[in-house]
Amino acid sequence: MGGSISRRGVNATMGAALVAAALGARSRPAAAAETITVLNWQGYGTDEAWALKLFAEHTGITVRHDYFNSEPEMVTKLRSNPGAYDVALINSARTRTIAADGLIEAIDLSQVPNAKDLTPALRDHANLTEGGKHYGISWVWGMNSLAVRRGVVKGADSYAVLSDPAYKNRAALFDDAVTEVGIGALMTGQSINAPTDLGAIKQRLTAMKPNIKLIWSSESEWNKAFVAGAFDVAIYWSGAAARAQKRYNLPVDFIVPKEGAIGWLDGLSVPSAAKNKAAALKFINFMIDPSFYLQWAKDAGAAASANAKAMSELAPDNPIRTIHKAEYISALQFMSTLPDERRKAFVDLWSEMKAFYAG
Amino acid sequence: MRPLARAWLALVLAFLYVPVAVMVAMGLNASPLYALPLHFSLHWFAALAGDDAILLATRNSLLVALVTCVVATAIGTLAAVALARPDLRGRGVLQALLLPPIGIPWLISGTAMLVFFSWTGIGRGLHSMMLGHVALATPYVVLVVGPGLKALPPNLEDAAKSLGATPADAFRSVTLPLLLPSVVAAALFAFAVSLDQFVISYFLATPGVTTLPVLIYGAIRSGFTPEINAVSTALLAASVVLLLGFARLAGVGGFLGRR
Amino acid sequence: MPAERHAAGPRPRRTGTAATAALLAPTYLWLAVAVFLPLAGMLYFSLLTGVPAPHHPAAFTAENYLAFVRKPYLLHVAWRSLALGLWTTGLCALIGWPAALALSRAVRGRARDAIFLLTILPFWTSGLVRVLSWTMVLADHGLLDRALGAVIPGWRVSDLLYTFPAIVIGLVHAYLPYMILTCYVSLAAIDPALIEAARGLGARAPVIFARILLPISLPGLLSGAVLIFVPVIGSFMEPRILGGRVGVTMGTVIEDQFTQAFDWPLGAALSFTMLAAVLLLFGVLYGASRLRPAA
Repeated sequence: MGGSISRRGVNATMGAALVAAALGARSRPAAAAETITVLNWQGYGTDEAWALKLFAEHTGITVRHDYFNSEPEMVTKLRSNPGAYDVALINSARTRTIAADGLIEAIDLSQVPNAKDLTPALRDHANLTEGGKHYGISWVWGMNSLAVRRGVVKGADSYAVLSDPAYKNRAALFDDAVTEVGIGALMTGQSINAPTDLGAIKQRLTAMKPNIKLIWSSESEWNKAFVAGAFDVAIYWSGAAARAQKRYNLPVDFIVPKEGAIGWLDGLSVPSAAKNKAAALKFINFMIDPSFYLQWAKDAGAAASANAKAMSELAPDNPIRTIHKAEYISALQFMSTLPDERRKAFVDLWSEMKAFYAG
Repeated sequence: MRPLARAWLALVLAFLYVPVAVMVAMGLNASPLYALPLHFSLHWFAALAGDDAILLATRNSLLVALVTCVVATAIGTLAAVALARPDLRGRGVLQALLLPPIGIPWLISGTAMLVFFSWTGIGRGLHSMMLGHVALATPYVVLVVGPGLKALPPNLEDAAKSLGATPADAFRSVTLPLLLPSVVAAALFAFAVSLDQFVISYFLATPGVTTLPVLIYGAIRSGFTPEINAVSTALLAASVVLLLGFARLAGVGGFLGRR
Repeated sequence: MPAERHAAGPRPRRTGTAATAALLAPTYLWLAVAVFLPLAGMLYFSLLTGVPAPHHPAAFTAENYLAFVRKPYLLHVAWRSLALGLWTTGLCALIGWPAALALSRAVRGRARDAIFLLTILPFWTSGLVRVLSWTMVLADHGLLDRALGAVIPGWRVSDLLYTFPAIVIGLVHAYLPYMILTCYVSLAAIDPALIEAARGLGARAPVIFARILLPISLPGLLSGAVLIFVPVIGSFMEPRILGGRVGVTMGTVIEDQFTQAFDWPLGAALSFTMLAAVLLLFGVLYGASRLRPAA
């Protein structure tokens, strides 16, 4: 309604002060020289206890963690706590936006020796670079695609199986706007990042209604519902599917159908306001080291490493390796930067679809 | 009538304990994915013993819940007494003001508290969790104690005062004992509200200082194990022991049997 | 009654007012600092186009409050939340009130204490764990099916999980103790002699119910209803986990604004709209109850 507020205006009103303070503005006590703080999802590699112990033994650097439960929360934490974090896990779809806001800084690859082993297509991915500079070190990649119950669903090679009457009330979707709109985009031959015909996507998603039983939002929810026999076809994460096969022995087949899959790439970045950048780079270098990855993959089961050398050291029959084929890297569409307006359009469409499924 | 009434009560209690029984059983089930049939294992309880993070979070939860319980019950009971006074003006508005803490989704309250507490310098941590939990639990206390007050014979305090008791004495020696069942119920609820609160705690937690529900909430994405069931079971068992002791202390005839 | 009260002697009005204020102050001051002031900040956010931040200035707008006009599907969502609230509150009253009566009249002494405590004890565990346990019970071929199959030969799968009734079951379970205990504290105050006297005068059970039990327990019933209805229409955990695809409610839509869309303003506006609706509803009920001639 009213006129837009200038930036200075925002600063003058309580808005900026509030948001600057939001999500924990409590400043860290003067950091000990050898402590860094990592911002990541809980239980996502960087907080493996054995790894932190090992890292501390070798470098004398103690690693602390703060967690987020959604990507917007991560951005807010970075923005409102300058200086609090030394390393941040950022989905590469957001790296350029965050870099444009000045929240993270370019990394000199020569300070990260293991970067030479990273798959070039991932290391230099357009999502992570701006003007030839790297704002994130590619760490782990994976896919959101089709997962089916082995032996029950045969010969599925298309997302059309999600609306196949043979699986009435037997399908599950992921509660994420970007993924589900992306699936619709793949089904209609559009770019997942810049679809032009949202109407066609809506039509495909609408057609799935009789099949949708569950809209899941976490790995444990998916696994538990799968074990309980709630569904046979679903959208799932590639890393979680590998874990389901290897660790829990579930009869899950992960399929990249003919329409393709949605790729994502997670990178590690250094906030511009980080207090201990040298230590942060040492930690990132350790995180992309094959020795860390192999142990992590063995203990917990992970998505694919961006380090080609690490992937080649996995056993050939390891589900991580059989699912994440190297040739996908060049064929996949990766989730990329979305302008605010487009992201909002995706979210609106997905909210409407969810309400429609419920009705 | 009496056997029928007791049967109904038993049925209701059985319903209330269905998920609790499942929770305990799954804590003793070997499968990390809650698969059936049950294979007995103490694995998750054993894992618990070495899990400092869970134990510390449990301790924090209990601390916050205890403080919340005491403070909310005290101030909420006082407010309920005032709200029951017949000559009170603006009762409708005051009662309506109790609804936002209950009715506004926690995500909104939690975000709002975080923004406000950060802005004013109250900050995050156990102290601000307590601040938030008390605010959340107090309306429950008022709404539970209120009906108990209305059910009291109206002129007792006046009678006591006409016999020379000061208002405070009259309250302490006449009203409070009769009110005890409602106050106990309110305190138990206040404790439960705090112990189960995860959204507000999540926003107000600082790295390294967390509570059990926050830990569970945070672990959802990576998938949590039946260790959570094990710690819940242990906590429940401890509660039973605590309450049995409490009931014994309350004396012969019990704390409800004052009439 | 007022005449009697007056006869108890002139009340020192000024100290009475001061005392009342002193009793109210701790609660309302606390609520002001921890709830009302923070919510005022949210009210401000709800009038913005987005979350303000450096590089992303926000403008004032009332657009967020027009969500129900712009997105008509939200009306269906709101209706589902209302239906959940009514079903849950109604069932809690139907189950909880008789249970409270039984507790107050059919059980005594230590047994009563024990049952009283047993009613609340389940709620000293994580709500999330309880809801996940319900999924085990309600799933097809789940524990309920297995139990019923063992008792009733040829029992077919009930397939309750991921349905509207599943959400209601989870919510009734989560909120039933409030109804039992608020009704209990009202009912426990009834003098057994009163009922005996009524019975002696030839009153039958329905009359005793309508003339004695219900009026006396009404405050408890109403308190319980408020404690259940208000949070249930904003609930998101039970619908999300037990409802599957039907679990879309105002609570989950608001949650999405925070976790997925990063649209605090819309989430806040939806919450305040919901709160306004609830306050309006209770205001109307309150007004109606005052219009009723005093019994």
